[in-house]
Amino acid sequence: MAPPDAAADHTADTAARRLLARAARASRGRLALPVALGLAATLAAIAQAWLIARLLAALLGLGPAGWAELAGAAALALLSLGLGLAQERAQQAAGEAAKARLRADAFARLLAAGPLDPRPVGERTALVVDRIEALEGYFARWLPAALLALLAPALVAGAAALAEPASGLTLLGAGLLVPLVQAASGIGAAQAARRQFDALQRLSGRFLDRMRGLPTLVLFNRQEAEAASLGAAAHELRRRTMRVLRVAFLSSAGMELIAAGALALLALRHGAALAAAASAATAGPADADQAAATARALFVLLLVPAFFAPLRGFAAAYHERLAARGAAAALAPLLDEAGPAAGPQGLLLAEVPPKVTVTFQDVRLTYDPARPPALDGLSFRVLPGETLVLTGPSGAGKTSVLRLLMGFVRPDEGRIAINGRDITLLHPAELRRLSAYVGQRAHLFRATLRENIRLARPGATDAAVEAAARAAGVLQFAAALPQGLDTLVGEGGFGLSGGQAQRVAVARAFLRDAPLVLLDEPTAHLDPGTEAELWESLRRLCVGRTAIIASHARAARTGALPGARVLEIAGGRALGAARIAGT
Amino acid sequence: MRRDLTRVLAELWRGHALRLGAGAAAAAAVALLGLALLALAGLGVAGTARAGGAAAPAGLAAAGLVSGLAALALLRPLVLLRPLARYAERLVSHAATFRALADTRLWFFRRLAERLPAGLGLRRAGDLLGRLVADVEALDGLYLRALVPGAAALAAVLAIGLLLGAVAPGLAAWVALPLAFALLAPLALAPGAARAAEAAAAAQGGLRAAVVDPLTGLEDTLAANAEERAARRVAEAGAELAAAQRRLAARGAWGGALGGLLTQAAMLGALAWGLAAGPAGVAPALLGLFLAVAAAETLGLMPRAGAALAAAAAAARRLFQAADQPPPVAEPAAPPALLPRGHAIRIRGLRFAWTPDRPPVFDGLDLDVPEGARVAILGPSGSGKSTLAALLLKLAAPQAGSIALGGAALDTLPAALVRSRIACLTQDARLFDDTIAANLRLAAPEADDAALWRALEAARIAELVRALPKGLATRCGEAGARFSGGQARRLALARALLSPAPVLILDEPAAGLDAATERDFLATLDSATAGRSVILIVHRLIGVERPTRILRLIGGRAIPATG
Repeated sequence: MAPPDAAADHTADTAARRLLARAARASRGRLALPVALGLAATLAAIAQAWLIARLLAALLGLGPAGWAELAGAAALALLSLGLGLAQERAQQAAGEAAKARLRADAFARLLAAGPLDPRPVGERTALVVDRIEALEGYFARWLPAALLALLAPALVAGAAALAEPASGLTLLGAGLLVPLVQAASGIGAAQAARRQFDALQRLSGRFLDRMRGLPTLVLFNRQEAEAASLGAAAHELRRRTMRVLRVAFLSSAGMELIAAGALALLALRHGAALAAAASAATAGPADADQAAATARALFVLLLVPAFFAPLRGFAAAYHERLAARGAAAALAPLLDEAGPAAGPQGLLLAEVPPKVTVTFQDVRLTYDPARPPALDGLSFRVLPGETLVLTGPSGAGKTSVLRLLMGFVRPDEGRIAINGRDITLLHPAELRRLSAYVGQRAHLFRATLRENIRLARPGATDAAVEAAARAAGVLQFAAALPQGLDTLVGEGGFGLSGGQAQRVAVARAFLRDAPLVLLDEPTAHLDPGTEAELWESLRRLCVGRTAIIASHARAARTGALPGARVLEIAGGRALGAARIAGT
Repeated sequence: MRRDLTRVLAELWRGHALRLGAGAAAAAAVALLGLALLALAGLGVAGTARAGGAAAPAGLAAAGLVSGLAALALLRPLVLLRPLARYAERLVSHAATFRALADTRLWFFRRLAERLPAGLGLRRAGDLLGRLVADVEALDGLYLRALVPGAAALAAVLAIGLLLGAVAPGLAAWVALPLAFALLAPLALAPGAARAAEAAAAAQGGLRAAVVDPLTGLEDTLAANAEERAARRVAEAGAELAAAQRRLAARGAWGGALGGLLTQAAMLGALAWGLAAGPAGVAPALLGLFLAVAAAETLGLMPRAGAALAAAAAAARRLFQAADQPPPVAEPAAPPALLPRGHAIRIRGLRFAWTPDRPPVFDGLDLDVPEGARVAILGPSGSGKSTLAALLLKLAAPQAGSIALGGAALDTLPAALVRSRIACLTQDARLFDDTIAANLRLAAPEADDAALWRALEAARIAELVRALPKGLATRCGEAGARFSGGQARRLALARALLSPAPVLILDEPAAGLDAATERDFLATLDSATAGRSVILIVHRLIGVERPTRILRLIGGRAIPATG
């Protein structure tokens, strides 16, 4: 990745901030409870400090206090522990809700982005899992901690000011220093956090990719070399993590310094008062005024930890905020793309028409301006019941036609219509309801064969699934498997050959029973025997439906599809008019 | 639990013992420094009180308290020292941790490569990714949240016990006992959190798998309008994770509350002892109070480590579970007695079945591939053509019979040696998300660009690569997503041809080629494979291959055939 310049940095940071602010608004309602509980705990701590101050004064012989105060302090200790427990629970709930919302949104966007998303799956997974998990701290800890850091120290300083105004002011001044120190130590932290997450994302992407191709690596004896590259990625993550932590540690060290300084200042200030009280006590029995003054002085000193406790929480959560900002930087563009609603817009389909006519009119499509267009003014029409075979060399634009009809991309120019209606008006998911699709390499999910076929129509009965499996020739090989159609296959079809996996995909297409059949070189990597058998099934699939098939010339020529029209394309244009296969 | 964690320390982190030990020692030193500061203040109090004697203990004690606090102020350089020392300690311990974690990730990948050479099987890629990312990360709890604070807490408890024990043994019990309980609490609490920790670790793997699977098969997910189902599965996995995290967090919070309770008990205990002891006890009570305050930060967090320990143990178990799979073919225990001379392959009486309950793929297979021979092996799909490649590459071991490479028995040779002699274009050969050049150089890391181009020419894909704006530096995308299926297959073929191995197994090398290119490729295979043995696994011959032998796999045996 090229080093991003300062402007891009700034944009990423702003976008991240905006995303978090937007999400925070949505979860504002859940903040009140943890903050209220935190404030109650602070009040308990103030009361406890007062009781202990009186106890200490009594121990020093300056005033009456005893077991009652001790019992009170113990009760207050129990109360604030209980409040702390309740606060933690409430915060956790706030984090959960925000995470669930953002994860659902991000995942929906990734699905909508479609198969042309160039990011490796591992990186996209890191977006939906690791980055969203990292946001939890923002909602669960940072937001309540930031609010508490404003309110709770004010309460404590107020209590101190009641006892002795100057001490209250001293605490307040120390409190004001805290955000300054945080901000100063946080300079450059946002960038460090962003880079940490980028490093994690790269590691995930690389690992998942290499993991999937482990056999290839092992067969070439390259696992050690790959381990070295993965090691470089892992240590890169370590370095980035340490850079972020250095900032976090610096800020908490700054925090501790301020707390120690404040304690020292107050100790110096009240040292004189306490000394006076002490000498008076030595001279004779202490009077009530002196006793009260001593207790007040001790009270102020004991308030110091109570004052800094929420600020400590703030300093700790400041790190979570930085992490969340770093995590949100890459999420922001994903979640922002099309405004508030998830994914692209479009009309819904009232019902799936039984027959479809597909028209391409002067369609142009360019993926990358630096390269020639994929489609350069392509026109054709396919009538109901007709099969159109698109042939041509690799890169001629065959796959692009299918991608357009699947709604994975939209045309730059020209018109694509189904039954006379422009398909770009439809929501892409609705467009896909019209078609059954078999790609070059069907993906089988980790599930039974039956479930893999039923993917195409979740409501289908067992009988319908079996009929589809029979039509596609799945039953033929499933019969030899230990559990037939209920045999579990691994991700990517482990346990099946390439040809068998393609048959499962064809069974899906049969079960789907859609009016439009789209086939993208479904036999490209199969051996000729398997290929011929598969075409047999595919031909039956196309009967009575509108079919568009991207295929090698071989399949069309060898009569796999008698009666089909063949359109040869090259460079994104049709070469002449369509002709009938076999002629 | 203990066994898994011990194994992490003794096996995975052994090389980091020095750094990790230094971090723990630094934490203990910082804790003692904090204690020393407050003890100095406290001793000031105690000292003054003792000097005053019984006559006016209270007043002098008050003066002592003041002088103690003043000492604190005067010791400002020392006060500053503590945050700085803590900063340094955290840097040292965290740097050591993340170094150990990075190496743990490496170890995990190596183990997987060693134990899953034939692929992931029924394992979920997303779950394995979760183990590498999240489970390895959770191991940090073992060190950062248990061992490091544990070292600090142990030092603090010992110091407090000794110091107070010397002044007033009764007081020492009041203060040090609750703190000692806090120190030991994680060991008592961890087993209770174990189930929640295991559920959380499994749930994060499940969430990743729920995300990875539909994204990997995104085309098919979308084609089936299965977006909502996939999203629901992710939401469910997310909810499951959240529920497990909530339970684990609750365990942690209870631990935190217990820590607060015990440190408060120590502080209030010092005060109570003072109240009960009367005037003579004021000074020791104050010392005890100061020490309890000083130790509160270190020990208050200690019981929370119970949940972290449980999480680390659950993560460790998941790592070992995946990493301890037995490899499909065990490496020979001793170095080979006989190194292969040449690379002739000789198979005798081979019997192999993938599982005992399935019919054998081979039953009495005999096959010879002399050096430089070109053997075509024909057979319908399912006749065991790919299984033969797996056996030759030591991805599986035969149940009976023998395979010899250059006269040396295959089972006595290390897999790496075999694979350096035999290269294979498998059915599932995969391109990685890297440049074309890097993908090709997997087969021959030292190959120069000219060699890459020769291989691309031979695989009939050079023209296409030359037309790409970035040429050899073009990235292939995951699984070659940047290219069509046929193009990706040809790049994989070029990679196999580039390999310097003297034996080449080409499993359907012409798949993805159109008829004319296929004929052209097979006719010129000679020059591409110059002098190497080639095992051509094909469905049928088209007449231009000129094999030295043709065999058909039927009923688990190789029968000589004629095209």
